[in-house]
Amino acid sequence: MAWRYLKQVEGFWVVFRQMFKPRVTTPYPKVKRVKPQRFHGRHVLNRYPNGMEKCIGCELCAGVCPARCIYVRGKDNPVDEPVSPGERYGFIYEINMLRCIFCAMCVEACPTEAITMTQLFEMSVQGREDAIYTRSELLMSPDGVVPHPQPQSKFNDLGELTLADGWMRATAAAGRAEYQGIRHWTPTAGAGHRPPEQGQAADGVPETEEESEG
Amino acid sequence: MSDEATPGMVKITIDGREMQVPAGDLLIAAAEKAGTYIPRFCWHSRMKPVGLCRMCLVEVEGPRGTMLTTSCTMQVNDGMVVHTESDVVKKAQEGVLEFLLINHPLDCPVCDKGGECPLQDQTVSFGPGESRFVEEKRHFEKPIPISDLVLLDRERCILCARCTRFSEEISGDPLIEFVERGSGTQVLTFPDEPFASYFSGNTVQICPVGALTATAYRFRARPWDLQAAESTCPHCSVGCRISVQSSQNQVLRFQGVDVDSTNQGWLCDKGRFGFEYLNSPDRLSTPKMAGDDGLQEASWIDALDAAASGLMSIIDEHGPGAVAGIGGARGTNEEAYAFGKFLRSVVGTGHLDAQIGDGLEPRLLAAPADRGLIGDLEKASSILVWGPDLKEELPVLYLRVRRAATELGAKLVVAHPRRTGLDDVATHTLRYRPGAGQDLLRRLAAGEGDAGAALAALKEGPTVVITGLAGLTEGPDLAEAVAAFGRDLPDATVLPVARRSNVFGALDMGVSPALLPGRASAVDDGARATLSGHWGADVPDGSGRDTAGIIEGLEAGAIRAVVLLGADPAVDFPDPARASAALAGAELIVAIDMFESVSTSMATVVFPALGFTETEGTVTNLEGRVQKVSRLLPGPGGARPSWEILEDVATRMGGSIGATSAGVIATEIEKVAPAYAGATWDALNTAFGRDGIVVPTADATQPIEYVPVDRPSAPVQRDLVLHLARVLYDGGTTVQRGLSLAKLAAEPAVYITPQDAHRLGVADGSAVRLSGGNGSAELTARFDDSLTPGAVYLPFNLGISVGSGLEVELEALA
Ligand code: SF4
Ligand code: SF4
Ligand code: SF4
Ligand code: SF4
Ligand code: FES
Repeated sequence: MAWRYLKQVEGFWVVFRQMFKPRVTTPYPKVKRVKPQRFHGRHVLNRYPNGMEKCIGCELCAGVCPARCIYVRGKDNPVDEPVSPGERYGFIYEINMLRCIFCAMCVEACPTEAITMTQLFEMSVQGREDAIYTRSELLMSPDGVVPHPQPQSKFNDLGELTLADGWMRATAAAGRAEYQGIRHWTPTAGAGHRPPEQGQAADGVPETEEESEG
Repeated sequence: MSDEATPGMVKITIDGREMQVPAGDLLIAAAEKAGTYIPRFCWHSRMKPVGLCRMCLVEVEGPRGTMLTTSCTMQVNDGMVVHTESDVVKKAQEGVLEFLLINHPLDCPVCDKGGECPLQDQTVSFGPGESRFVEEKRHFEKPIPISDLVLLDRERCILCARCTRFSEEISGDPLIEFVERGSGTQVLTFPDEPFASYFSGNTVQICPVGALTATAYRFRARPWDLQAAESTCPHCSVGCRISVQSSQNQVLRFQGVDVDSTNQGWLCDKGRFGFEYLNSPDRLSTPKMAGDDGLQEASWIDALDAAASGLMSIIDEHGPGAVAGIGGARGTNEEAYAFGKFLRSVVGTGHLDAQIGDGLEPRLLAAPADRGLIGDLEKASSILVWGPDLKEELPVLYLRVRRAATELGAKLVVAHPRRTGLDDVATHTLRYRPGAGQDLLRRLAAGEGDAGAALAALKEGPTVVITGLAGLTEGPDLAEAVAAFGRDLPDATVLPVARRSNVFGALDMGVSPALLPGRASAVDDGARATLSGHWGADVPDGSGRDTAGIIEGLEAGAIRAVVLLGADPAVDFPDPARASAALAGAELIVAIDMFESVSTSMATVVFPALGFTETEGTVTNLEGRVQKVSRLLPGPGGARPSWEILEDVATRMGGSIGATSAGVIATEIEKVAPAYAGATWDALNTAFGRDGIVVPTADATQPIEYVPVDRPSAPVQRDLVLHLARVLYDGGTTVQRGLSLAKLAAEPAVYITPQDAHRLGVADGSAVRLSGGNGSAELTARFDDSLTPGAVYLPFNLGISVGSGLEVELEALA
């Protein structure tokens, strides 16, 4: 009969052995894992270095979104105080984060790189309505600071909001011929600066990006 | 396929496929019918080809070898061999697109056309992947308004001339044209002359790029977030097919749908942009009841109780004949039927009318003998238009008549008291003083003097006679006499017209003292007995009052209560002041409406009704064509369909009209109304689709067939007579509650001939006082030499009324 108890001790042995192996989990939230460079976190609406909004309210992101969670409406830019370059700007911009599947199709569709994703993923909310991010949550301020709906939460690493998943373009966003075939990302006022990934042409970055660093 | 060609057809080979196509067709059209789409920008199936854009190049084999040619300018020939997908064609298409895009801006994300743009679509399907052109593009000032409704972005224009050709060929107001040359070529208006056409919106729809956009739709939505439903335009009785498009529960635009029978793809601007009133914040959304200071919001229960008990106490005290109903011509057939049934069976009154004192003999409108169709215009040799200025009242019918007179070569005779939109293309124009129409008709019938040539033209059949009320000061007799004259022509069909959108449907549903549902006569005892069998209630005899009679009855105290269904007699009656005073004396007014109006301000109870795009049903156009209207939107909060409101009032009065849904009413109509047998929703949704059903169908019977009678009257001889007629943009609700159209309503003015002006000492633009049968007004005088001396013209419903009497006086003010 004794061999029966031996089997149970074997179980303890598995645990005992494990105690001396290196740990693979991270004690989140005290420690956070380094995320992959193209992690799809919450969205941000970018600005140009001169402070203009990049979004032109074209609704392409809303059209492509498989979860149908984006609601955009465009409007004529005020003549004296244009919000974005050109005729049209996005005067309503909402994303329902409860429905978003973080596929980044919106980022890919955007013709102006107005919408990009950051590394921040902590987005707990107290009610369904808070999960609908509007312009006031999504749009960065002219100095590049991205607002967060729960800034005091200790889980947040607001630094993650400045890491944009902007490496999407196969050709130059500005459509200029000299950048044909060169991969790069365009400057944003705050988020979006990262060292080139492996295999990415660092020298393909246009000069304007330098100006925006400050 | 057999080798024998069917007569009228020729055999051609497209991309190796042999097919038979109608002889005389353009290659591009024949190929499309046979299932081969050839890309195009400038060619439009409803306009003449020009061969400007070169997008439709195909290879045609000929005796001198295979050559590239534009398929939009080439007619099919027997034995023609065509290649649309050869390498040469592909190279040509890529070249054309690359060149078209040299100067085309990268505007797609902000362009209203983006997503439904032929240039985008065809570039993706037929264009080169890349362009060799890196040079700076041509620049123009971004959109310039060329009218109050249309914006032009010249950078995007690809110079296809669809817009300029439309305005010249189709609408006949060539106010836009190409200027400059080379890459500077652009579409422009003439200096100081805006593109003020009643049809300007069509250019926006047919522009193959986003160069022409509509102010009402600018940046409101993108094509992929629009929901669409096919429906029928609610603005006049032509019944144009439209696609209603909405987003986020707001109607955002109407687009014309191309059907042969009515609009051929076109819409007038009132139809196209007249949807904005539906989104108006002034829409009624709760019932209201008269309180101490004006109308107060009330609960549905209180309002329904008040309406029912008010009606019942008047019926108890004075009998059902003290109640009358006006309206029903603005909604669906189902609503009109419910209205008629409510009044006749639940209330028990025969005083009901859908026309507001500005119509014709109801039997003439509903069931004229030898009734024509709009489509008859296509084969007509001659046309007589003696009635309203079609351009102002039935604009798309104007386009159809214009097409017949220009494109198809029909001889057109126009008789009207002053210049009409059709005069430019008319072979004969006859003018007369209001009141003296009978005299002119007699001369025309006898072929006397200058009318002789017109009569000769009209004797060449087939002839279409369009008749209606030319002016509101004239009685309905003249139009009827014209219809009678038309019937006597050798080979003529008659098309009596009235403007209000579903007035034909309402009359067919029996909203008239003389008519029962399905074009039966109310004086016919047999028809009444059958109907009361269906309804289980007595049907009052045909001695009821029409709107003018109801107003008289109110004045005399014989009528004490009025039920209004979407009608505003205090504004729309030819003598608004008189109607207004009469309504003010009513004991009880129950109004069902979408908006507060002058008439509802006098009401005891006002119910908020759902309107167009918010209710489903059918409507009937001026040729008797039944078409579907669709529901796409929920409408404002507390509003409900009119039939449902009437049913609730009926229930509280101890009756019922059996209206549990619009579909149920439609089934009942099909059963009860003889002429509507077979016109079911099912048939409308499936078999007949876009063209609707002309009632009565071959299997239905139409109990009455009205033969117009000529009741000659003595010409009126007065010093100065008034021509009072409607204009397209007036003070009506649908215009005034929409942002785009409201600003287009003209300033009221009185028009006078220079001769009379000279006699009365009036200068062009000076202030005058016009006094008529009921009131007088101070106005600006304008010269109009198209009037007959002794006549003055005042547009109706622009805020000025002097009554509807023929005789007026005019004096110059210092
Ligand atoms: S990430 Fe995907 S699901 Fe989320 S908003 Fe963008 S497109 Fe929609
Ligand atoms: S975020 Fe980009 S894709 Fe979306 S509306 Fe703005 S500009 Fe268009
Ligand atoms: S017209 Fe068509 S191709 Fe041109 S910008 Fe607009 S959507 Fe793009
Ligand atoms: S404005 Fe539009 S319809 Fe007119 S010529 Fe230019 S592209 Fe053609
Ligand atoms: S469509 Fe034939 S040339 Fe334009």
